[in-house]
Amino acid sequence: MLGLTNMQPRQLATQVLNFALVLSTAFMLWKGLSVATDSPSPIVVVLSGSMEPAFQRGDLLLLWNRGSDTQIGEIVVYNVKGKDIPIVHRVIRRFGGGKSPLRLLTKGDNNNADDTELYAVGQPFLNRKEDVVGSVVGYIPFVGYVTILLSEYPWLKQVMLGMMGLMVVLQRE
Amino acid sequence: MSATTKIAVHSLADLKNTADDALPNYLHSLKFKQIHTQTDVRLAIGYTAVAISGALFYFDWKFGWDVSKPYTTPAVIAYFLLNTAFTYWLWFVEAGVVYEGEGKTGKVRIASSTKKHIPIYECDVTFTPAPYNSNPTQTLHIRTPFTRWFTADGYFIAKPFQQWLASEIPIVGEADPSNVVEEIGRGSTAGGEKAFNVTGDNALDILEQLKTSGAKVTAGSGSGRRRK
Repeated sequence: MLGLTNMQPRQLATQVLNFALVLSTAFMLWKGLSVATDSPSPIVVVLSGSMEPAFQRGDLLLLWNRGSDTQIGEIVVYNVKGKDIPIVHRVIRRFGGGKSPLRLLTKGDNNNADDTELYAVGQPFLNRKEDVVGSVVGYIPFVGYVTILLSEYPWLKQVMLGMMGLMVVLQRE
Repeated sequence: MSATTKIAVHSLADLKNTADDALPNYLHSLKFKQIHTQTDVRLAIGYTAVAISGALFYFDWKFGWDVSKPYTTPAVIAYFLLNTAFTYWLWFVEAGVVYEGEGKTGKVRIASSTKKHIPIYECDVTFTPAPYNSNPTQTLHIRTPFTRWFTADGYFIAKPFQQWLASEIPIVGEADPSNVVEEIGRGSTAGGEKAFNVTGDNALDILEQLKTSGAKVTAGSGSGRRRK
């Protein structure tokens, strides 16, 4: 273990670069996945129990956004205008398609009513192209619970980032 | 830099890093000038990749996915190409080089390595003695245990380290003749390559040889020429 203070400038630049490469590689992998799936957010975590028993809180969902002819029964992730939390629900009706834009109505399996209440004011349906982030093609149970913890206790994020940074900068194995 | 710092003698990384750091210190004291070209190329490749990623991050955060989408694919491709180039450079071009420099007596390039859990410092040395047009580039593989220049409690001792380098690498020895020592097969030279191969059969012969050679030195001019 060697201190930062007595390093040559190039050595310091190398250590900083190593840290930056770890972060940027993670970011670029994410972006690569975004490009491959054509989805701005190819992996999401289920935050509510509204899709139980299909998905539990903390499940990690893998999305795919190519092939936009979404069918009834598919589970989609969508964003509501003006809200920044994506919602995972099942398609129960579809209108249009083909030449006219495809519109969808969704409902949570565990909810009593469909989602019209959740949509933005004056919006009775989802626009497939604009609102939907992707269809669920796979899931990993429970793994996403870490992110729920991180979002519920924001200080954990800083602690984690700080520790990662320190480790990369200080060790020279 | 670590000449006065105590290190953990059982940490191979500490042993190697301290020796690596002592290399430039010693060679610079002999008026060698370090050549940074390879490091600079690596840093340039690395920071370009990071800059691309940073720009994409900012752009995406500022304008959103729909605007940044057409730029994302080329950025991702460029990033991973640069990353591959960076890794290639690190592993196959630099290949563990810890010092590259030039002095009055020639050019030298040292790549150090250790084998897992074996406390032996291994150096691949490439050097070209001074008039470059008349001297070919040569390579050497030199190795010695770390115990040669680390005390039992983890202090680095510069003198034996310098003597080792000066004796093994000709152009370093030329630049620093006072540190050239001849291997006489005693003390901590556990390297073993130059030690007599003593077996039951030839032990007596060797003893005889040692006696006569010792006698010759004393019987000769008495200058102790062999020790320098």
